[in-house]
Amino acid sequence: MPFPLSAHLPAGSRLSRLGPGLFWVLDAAGAVVFALGLAGAVTHLVARDFGGPWPWLAALIMGAMLRAFANFAATAAGARRARRLKGGLREKVFRAALRTPAGQAAPIGERAAAVVDEVEALDGWFARFEPLGLAARISPVLVLAAIALASPISALILVGALIPFALIMALAGMMAADAARAQFEALGRLSGLFVDRVRALPVVLAFQAEAAQAAQVEGAARGVARRTLAVLRFAFLSSAGLEFFAALSVALVAVYAGFNLLGLLPIPVPEQLDLGRALFVLALAPEVYLPLRRLAGAYHDKQAGQAAGERLSRLLEGPAVPAPGGDGLAAPPHIAFEAVQLAYPGGATVGPISFTAPAGQVTALLGASGSGKTSLLSVLVGAAPLSAGEVRVDGRALSSEGSFARSVAWAGQTPTLAPGSVADNIALGRPGASAQTVAAIAGKVGLGAAMAGRAEGLQTRLDERGSGLSGGERRRIGLARAWLKPAPILCLDEPTADLDAKAEAEMIAVLASMARGRTVLIATHSEKVAAMADHVVRLP
Amino acid sequence: MTSSLKTLVAAQRRRQGRALMLSALAAAILALCAVLLMGLSGWFIAAAAAAGAGGKAAVMAFNYLLPSAGIRLLAILRTGARYGERLAGHTAALNALAEIRPALYRALAQGRPEAALALSSGEAAARLVQDVDAVETLFVRLSAPWAAAAALIAGLGLTLLAGPAPALCLLAAMGLLLVLGKLLAQRVSTEPGREVQGAAGELKDSVAAYLAASPDLVCYDLEDRAVATVMAHDQRLGQAQGRVVDGEALMAALQAVVSGLAVAAVLLAARDAAIPLAALAALSTVVALEGAAGLLRAFERAGAAAEAERRLNMVLTPSPESARSPDPFGARDLTLPIAGGVRLAPGARAALVGPSGCGKTQMLERLIGLRTAGLEGFAIAGTPLARLTPSFVRSQFAYAPQDARLLTGSIADNLRLASPRASEAELWLALADAGLEDRVSAMAGGLDAWIGEGGARLSGGERRRLSLARALLRPSPWLVLDEPTEGLDGPTEALVIARLAQRLARTGQGLLLVSHRPAPLALCDEALGLTDDAISLDRLAAAAG
Repeated sequence: MPFPLSAHLPAGSRLSRLGPGLFWVLDAAGAVVFALGLAGAVTHLVARDFGGPWPWLAALIMGAMLRAFANFAATAAGARRARRLKGGLREKVFRAALRTPAGQAAPIGERAAAVVDEVEALDGWFARFEPLGLAARISPVLVLAAIALASPISALILVGALIPFALIMALAGMMAADAARAQFEALGRLSGLFVDRVRALPVVLAFQAEAAQAAQVEGAARGVARRTLAVLRFAFLSSAGLEFFAALSVALVAVYAGFNLLGLLPIPVPEQLDLGRALFVLALAPEVYLPLRRLAGAYHDKQAGQAAGERLSRLLEGPAVPAPGGDGLAAPPHIAFEAVQLAYPGGATVGPISFTAPAGQVTALLGASGSGKTSLLSVLVGAAPLSAGEVRVDGRALSSEGSFARSVAWAGQTPTLAPGSVADNIALGRPGASAQTVAAIAGKVGLGAAMAGRAEGLQTRLDERGSGLSGGERRRIGLARAWLKPAPILCLDEPTADLDAKAEAEMIAVLASMARGRTVLIATHSEKVAAMADHVVRLP
Repeated sequence: MTSSLKTLVAAQRRRQGRALMLSALAAAILALCAVLLMGLSGWFIAAAAAAGAGGKAAVMAFNYLLPSAGIRLLAILRTGARYGERLAGHTAALNALAEIRPALYRALAQGRPEAALALSSGEAAARLVQDVDAVETLFVRLSAPWAAAAALIAGLGLTLLAGPAPALCLLAAMGLLLVLGKLLAQRVSTEPGREVQGAAGELKDSVAAYLAASPDLVCYDLEDRAVATVMAHDQRLGQAQGRVVDGEALMAALQAVVSGLAVAAVLLAARDAAIPLAALAALSTVVALEGAAGLLRAFERAGAAAEAERRLNMVLTPSPESARSPDPFGARDLTLPIAGGVRLAPGARAALVGPSGCGKTQMLERLIGLRTAGLEGFAIAGTPLARLTPSFVRSQFAYAPQDARLLTGSIADNLRLASPRASEAELWLALADAGLEDRVSAMAGGLDAWIGEGGARLSGGERRRLSLARALLRPSPWLVLDEPTEGLDGPTEALVIARLAQRLARTGQGLLLVSHRPAPLALCDEALGLTDDAISLDRLAAAAG
């Protein structure tokens, strides 16, 4: 089965398993040297030749050192490879997660788990599974060749036992794949559920429902435990099977060698072993299977990688908000909504609706709750799915442009804040804006007074919740940002919600000066906002 | 009843005691079998060689049946023991973790509410999912010392057959391995392990922050900036992971070097012993030292586990539970710190008014037990709020917050948060009173319709009405509504207010209302101005009208 993500990996990424893979082969070579040293040393000791064993003891120590080095180098090279490939993938996955259209996206917790945990789940695949897969094809042949030089029949016995070995590995691989997939889904659910229930903690506390919610978390956590155990049981069982056959074949070789030395074999064989050869073969016999057992040990890595890979490729190949393409508009455009219809998965629809927003004027959209005002605005930036009809901005069709985000300054109901200072968040509207410009705009939207009361003023640090700011202050940051952005289209979503009459009047004055020189669309309930608009569109 | 992670872990160790014991026993048998198997094999071959060389008589006298049967038996036992150890150990660990996760959520809910609210979403997920995973090693590795001890004992027993000197060599090598392993782990694994935990948490935090910001990202060309920030965290995580891997590789190298030197030393020390016994000693030394591998891994992971424990303990802050509570039945009067103290009789209907940003929402959050600081002047039935338990305080109120804070789930999931045992008819009634009945019955699935993350599939006004319906379902003496009709068009607002008035008349509940819009104020008998210039309800309505 091809790796589900191979299309998203850079060229040559498969070849890069050679580095760590060959270090694992070097480990097998070290084992041969070690066995040679052990057999030689013992043979000389048997002969009571105490001058002879020194070079053999040196070989024994050299072999051990070589193995130590090869293990070290293989692990480190594998980890470096995984880091490189994971980094590239994480960037792609994160971009895809950012671009999932609103209304179709999985909860934030689940998408964050994809970017962090599921990319991390590929670590073993890149670092161990692929390099070990290469070594599992070369090392056993190398070790068997060394054994065959000392005792061809022992080599034959070991080759014979490889057959059930390969069968078990294939079988276990097939059976465990589904279980691994189920485990990852359960883990994603747990992560999503917990993030959501922490986010909603204020209402959970207010309704004293913490016990019921904890029970839900417990249910999800138990699901993860149960599914993880199912995966592990397969892994342990197959590795037990492998170990059994490895031990059995080593025992077979030991018994064969013993009987050969005793001359008690029931059938005549064309070889007569001595102690040195027998010890060499015995010490090397487990090494034939070691690369395969290491590979089997990395089977969990394989399944985890496969499951994560499938989920990630769905995300990578799923629907995406179009990247803001094309050139920005220079002058305030004329915007025409022609029989626009929006459809969300799950059946909710908006429209069909037609209206125009004349260039350089303010158009207010009024309508009942749920009539789709916000959706109509977000269709301009590609954040809502246009299913029928067309939006034309100075004649350019939305369906071919995908998004006019470059030309849109947006201030939403709950502006999203990035971690950083208040000033940073305002400057997002015009990267590189000077501190004075930011401060001036903050003053114009009425943030100046509120922030002056804080020790650090506009440098006050925010987290993504905007903790410590009131809803009104957050919305003013969004307005300042939109004001700062040199874009000819301005979209405002409920700019006066939650404001009292006095504050609303002040806000309307601010909106009027913001609107100058732009084509403005305002979604609102407020008749006062509607009164300041040049045109009013009442939605059914 | 909140507790540190240590007590949670200790409790789980007791609960999973049987499985943990089984795993330790299996680990010991495994180590014993592994050492005996290799030692016996080496001895068998060497002895067979000696007998073969000794002529026909020696061969006939050599008992090959017993050792070769022993070899096969040990191979089978070893396989079974390994399976048992792994399965029992992981079962215990996973079951323990499945209980620790919800315990953590409970602790989060019982701690200072401010601390829970300050946790950003990505961090919280990282804590629950990743840090608890790191604690797994505290369970899985419990069998490691037993395995090491059994391996050492078996190894010593076998090497002693070749004389005291080889046994001493093994003992010295094991001691050296463990001491050097511990020291090396402290140098190369503890700090990077800690850092991996921290860096992974920060990475997730950053990712979650930007994912929450996705609609604004396209308009402000934030994507590249977001990617740069997230990839900087990724870089830090990668570097820490690289150091962890280097540490692991160094530990493996240490084991290989010590084991090579030990075999050479044992062979030299056993040069006067019979050859089969020397072979037995050498091979059992290798395997006995391998028995310490689990313990070495436990040393390596100790850093990550300690860091995870420290971070989890920060979440497990002690709860502010302190005071005694009166019995929770019946309506009581409230005292609010407005104009030197305002008393509201049971069933009163009051509006909190004042300009934007004067702290109306914070006052509500203090009153209903979502904040523990600044409680001076608040009282229920004359008892200061600070002396009441949060659970009693919260039981008095049904709250519809300004930002609806819906659960990701179905309509019914959200409504049943307020009243787990409410019948479907009651749910529909609450939806009708909130003016949302028609909308919900038009949705595919009705009450079971999925509303998306935090209610993303509903409009702003629908979210508020669902939040209102949820509050209506809770039979508390006081209804606390923060901007309940914001985002509603005029006719819908009028409908909601009319139904609310009917419902209040029916239930006799008290009402505390915050609203900038004039229409809901019609529900109230009095207006409480938060600023000095108290405004009367009439003037307010007149100004708005």
